[in-house]
Amino acid sequence: MSVTTARAIVTADDLDAVRDDYIERTKDVDFTIMLCSGAGCLSSKAGEIAEALERELAAAGLAERTLVKYTGCIGACGLGPALIADPDGVFYCHLKASDVHELVTEHLLNGRVVEHLCYHDLETGQAVPKFDDIPFFARQRRIVLRNCGRADHDDLGEYVARGGYRAALKAMTEMTPKGVVDEVLTSGLRGRGGGGFPTGRKWAMAAAKPDREKYVICNGDEGDPGAFMDRSVLEGDPHSVIEGMLIAGYAIGASHGVVYVRAEYPLAVERLETALGQARAVGLLGENVFGTEHSFDIEIRIGAGAFVCGEETALMSSVEGRRGEPHQKPPFPSDMGLFRRPTIINNVETLANIAPIIAEGGEWFASIGIAGSSGTKVFALAGDIENTGLVEVPMGISLGEVIFDIGGGVPNGRQFKVAQTGGPSGGCLTAAHLNTKIDYDSLVKLGAIMGSGGLVVMDTNTCMVDVAKYFMQFCADESCGKCVPCRIGTTRMLEILTRITKGEGREGDVEKLAELCDVVRDTALCGLGQTAPNPILSTIRYFREEYDEHIRDHYCRAGVCSDLFVAPCVNACPAHVDVPGYLSLIAAGRPLDAYRLIRQENPFPSVCGRVCTHPCELACRRGQLDEPVDIRAVKRYAADVAYESGAVGAEAIPRQRDGSIGIVGAGPSGLTAAYYLRLSGYDVDVYEQQPVAGGMLAVGIPEFRLPKGSLQREIDTIRVTGVRIQTGVEVGRDVSFDELMARHDALYLAVGTQVSWTLGIPGEDLPGVVHGLDYLRQVNLGGASPEQGSVIVIGGGNTALDAARTALREGAEKVTILYRRRVMEMPAAAEEIAEAREEGIEIRELVAPVAIETAGDRLTVRCRRMGLEGFSDDGRRRVVPSPDEEESFTADLVIPAVSQFVDSAFTEPAAVRISSVGTFEVDSRTSMTNVPGVFAGGDAMRGPDVVIDAIADGKAVASSIDRYLGGDGELWKGPAIDVPEPWIDDDDTREHGRFGMCYLDPEKRARSYDEVALGYHRVDAVAESLRCLHCDRR
Amino acid sequence: MTTTELPPASLNRAAGSDSSDDLSDEVRARLREIVAEHRARPDELIQVLHEAQALLGWLPHETLSIVASEMGLPYSRVRGVVTFYSLFNTKPRGRHTINACQGTACYVRGGRDVLDKLSETLGIEQGETTPDQAFSLAVVRCVGACGLAPVVTVDDDVHKRVNPNKINDVLEGYDR
Repeated sequence: MSVTTARAIVTADDLDAVRDDYIERTKDVDFTIMLCSGAGCLSSKAGEIAEALERELAAAGLAERTLVKYTGCIGACGLGPALIADPDGVFYCHLKASDVHELVTEHLLNGRVVEHLCYHDLETGQAVPKFDDIPFFARQRRIVLRNCGRADHDDLGEYVARGGYRAALKAMTEMTPKGVVDEVLTSGLRGRGGGGFPTGRKWAMAAAKPDREKYVICNGDEGDPGAFMDRSVLEGDPHSVIEGMLIAGYAIGASHGVVYVRAEYPLAVERLETALGQARAVGLLGENVFGTEHSFDIEIRIGAGAFVCGEETALMSSVEGRRGEPHQKPPFPSDMGLFRRPTIINNVETLANIAPIIAEGGEWFASIGIAGSSGTKVFALAGDIENTGLVEVPMGISLGEVIFDIGGGVPNGRQFKVAQTGGPSGGCLTAAHLNTKIDYDSLVKLGAIMGSGGLVVMDTNTCMVDVAKYFMQFCADESCGKCVPCRIGTTRMLEILTRITKGEGREGDVEKLAELCDVVRDTALCGLGQTAPNPILSTIRYFREEYDEHIRDHYCRAGVCSDLFVAPCVNACPAHVDVPGYLSLIAAGRPLDAYRLIRQENPFPSVCGRVCTHPCELACRRGQLDEPVDIRAVKRYAADVAYESGAVGAEAIPRQRDGSIGIVGAGPSGLTAAYYLRLSGYDVDVYEQQPVAGGMLAVGIPEFRLPKGSLQREIDTIRVTGVRIQTGVEVGRDVSFDELMARHDALYLAVGTQVSWTLGIPGEDLPGVVHGLDYLRQVNLGGASPEQGSVIVIGGGNTALDAARTALREGAEKVTILYRRRVMEMPAAAEEIAEAREEGIEIRELVAPVAIETAGDRLTVRCRRMGLEGFSDDGRRRVVPSPDEEESFTADLVIPAVSQFVDSAFTEPAAVRISSVGTFEVDSRTSMTNVPGVFAGGDAMRGPDVVIDAIADGKAVASSIDRYLGGDGELWKGPAIDVPEPWIDDDDTREHGRFGMCYLDPEKRARSYDEVALGYHRVDAVAESLRCLHCDRR
Repeated sequence: MTTTELPPASLNRAAGSDSSDDLSDEVRARLREIVAEHRARPDELIQVLHEAQALLGWLPHETLSIVASEMGLPYSRVRGVVTFYSLFNTKPRGRHTINACQGTACYVRGGRDVLDKLSETLGIEQGETTPDQAFSLAVVRCVGACGLAPVVTVDDDVHKRVNPNKINDVLEGYDR
């Protein structure tokens, strides 16, 4: 709707008249629909929605009473197409043209909010109809974006009615140019393009020049990949930029303005042109603006695809029709700029702040934000984040608040790794920095920069070396070539990074990179070259291990650098099981061979097929299409078939080696090491404290997740190789550590974490309080479990979940889990939590116990409710007690399960070094402790962790011990298995979710120890295996 | 303002332009009109080149020669500008231009896989055109639609949240 008045605007009365005219023509309106017409929504067919609105409103007879505004970007780009419906202030999103009919009839005609078209809270799933109630919007403070999402981008009348051009009038008729400059200085406004130079000072320098011809340039190049706020302002509120430039021109004494827009933004150019035409038509641009002596007009110049043209001297070069090569400063643009005249160059966002500063005063602006960084900043949230889009927040807000409270956190249950700010000139902020207040100076201290405001969030599937390479590729591409440091420096740095990501890294590469970075930063001619090293320096600073892993271990932990691995699943598996291989074998109807293939790398297929945390599935590329392959379920199928067939037998020991190994602990880590060392021909003895072998697999994980029968037959395959497992033997009591050291040539300490941490609260030693590990051990070993009625479990890990579900099966009437953080932060596997809830277990979050007291013959657990405040170093929310908010729970049995630690006392005679958290300290390459010949791994070295890591450690230690004793460290994996070519037809990949695993019905299974997961039928296993995309073929 | 000696067209051929760079009379006339509008302002060269490129989708040697001589600029200056900016093409384009965005947000959301899949499906590398002249594949660094990453534009259409396993969905509908 663009109804511009033909009347000239010269005085305040004229502005009033335009405003009144707008009010008049929109007064008989019952409904206002603000339809987002930013570029993102337009690409999502917002145009079709506009047409549908027109039709439906006409059909409903509402056309006259409804005002439809085509606004600038509302900011919630991931939710578009979107609109706001007034007077109710309801926000509708994810709209399709076919939704409009319902919207018009239900909401406008019948006054009923259409819930299924509303925004839904991510955690609760509830609809949140009102715009002001949605945190993404509610937490913003929109100054730059004041009109975007609210006003029609095309209506000068509305711009004026909302206060537009008053500031320009005030500046030009009531203030002196110096007064305007002073006001901007007072505001503390700093350049929003990335440099952060005080805008007032820049204007003052240009204003001081006596030249009669000067220029105001608006930098709309916005080349930072990931930034789109300037675009949105130009497209959504072009008059705000025009007004800002008008005021700037007056302040410095310039009558020429140029807006330099990158060519990739044709819509911005179009809308700006329209706005310029409107402004000229009413005399806001041209000769004698507002009846003063001052004239001002603006022309648009378009770029042609060069990132360096965002740099001010290169930009001016481009405006002059030349190659966009920068030049040395001084001379500064304010001395000698465009066409050799004094020039100021300001970013779009900076200029959009000017009118409010003049209207409300510099002090008002300075009161927003924090000292040194006043006002607001528009951030473009993109990457691995739930709510992508534009947000405007006061400076000084914490990074965590932007990413999690406003941005909605990382989607798909993944973990936050890094927030990249400042584009290719910027750096990374990690989980340890979530409490950092965002302002110009604090970011620089952390090795990052504010930049233009692009904030790209990356999850743990991101390789930081690859990120550094990506940015250097960009800089090398965009380097103008004028100066040697940038032209050649970026090329050489890119070469080194490329080699590293291809597995050709060399010792010393990182040091050489760092040196090159310093040189380029110090000697490059312009900002592009000077800041190109930033991403490298930043990633080396915070992620040095990833560089080392690439170079030394040829390992990319994120599974990105494909030259370093066969397939993402194999790479993600700590034991590097050949997943695509065994999936091919299953698909070919050879489950026994599939089992044997798995066994080459992992002696516990049956166990892992049931309880592994499946990092392979998180990396599975099939997940990008529909759902990851259920690798774990197929593994279980292969193992079950193999064992049932009876064809699993003793393997011939191919070698004989001189050497006797002692292993303390018959858990998965110890048994894995035992297995491989035995196959290498060593004599192996395993000493186990409990009456059964298996460690946590036997006495921790319950029967209904891992049937002991399945476990024992798997352990038997290890026993049958000749490994001697002695149960009921405690080192330190039945045999001394010194004796073991004398008896064996090498020792492996794989004792896990068997001692429970206590809560440290009064009453923890009362009868009726049994710690999780002890409780599970009792039940799993067949002992009688204490009286049950109502049970409370305290904790959030797998032990707590297992204890809770076991208590239910032991007959408890009601089981409640108390956790001090939120459910989404519980370390336990999400599947376990879901299954527990299905079985009727209640989980109360944000409660922490402070005391346990007797209450008759029952127990009361007194708790404090917790609130969230800030973030801890690992990226999780920090919980703090809510003052005066207490809650009590009553139970017959209380089971604290808040982590475990290592019982390391038995090694004291040899003085094995223990870390500050009680685990055994080892050399990272050999896994050997400070005592020669004594090795450690699994939970005993890592702290409480998962089975597959323990198994991987067992293999690593077996290899290490072999090398220690003079061998080559190669593990015997058995005869090679011929894996068939997979049957794949790329053109025929059809979408299909997982072939579902069946589970026992929750109500029935809650009272029985029958295995909850029923396993695959052959048909399902084969079908699921065929879903594999075979990333290993290349 | 002197007329400059134009380098022989054969030089340009060696630089890799198409053999058929003879402009039609109609195009020449249109081109002269475009230049005439900006003749007085040599600093508007980039604008002129954008409009000139819109005529054929690329900038053949003769086009640049005409621009240079009519605007009174050395040919080398015009060529220097053309080769500096990535949006100017000195080779003919396919009927449809595919731009795979490799901006940060798109990269983080799988943009590299999208580009690789496009390359594989079309059988060409970035910067090249399919033999049947239907598609040209290029890379662009951020079109400002980061909320819809990963993004691929085909001519003026913006395809959002492109799935590398569904590249054919993107290419469908464009006549070959």
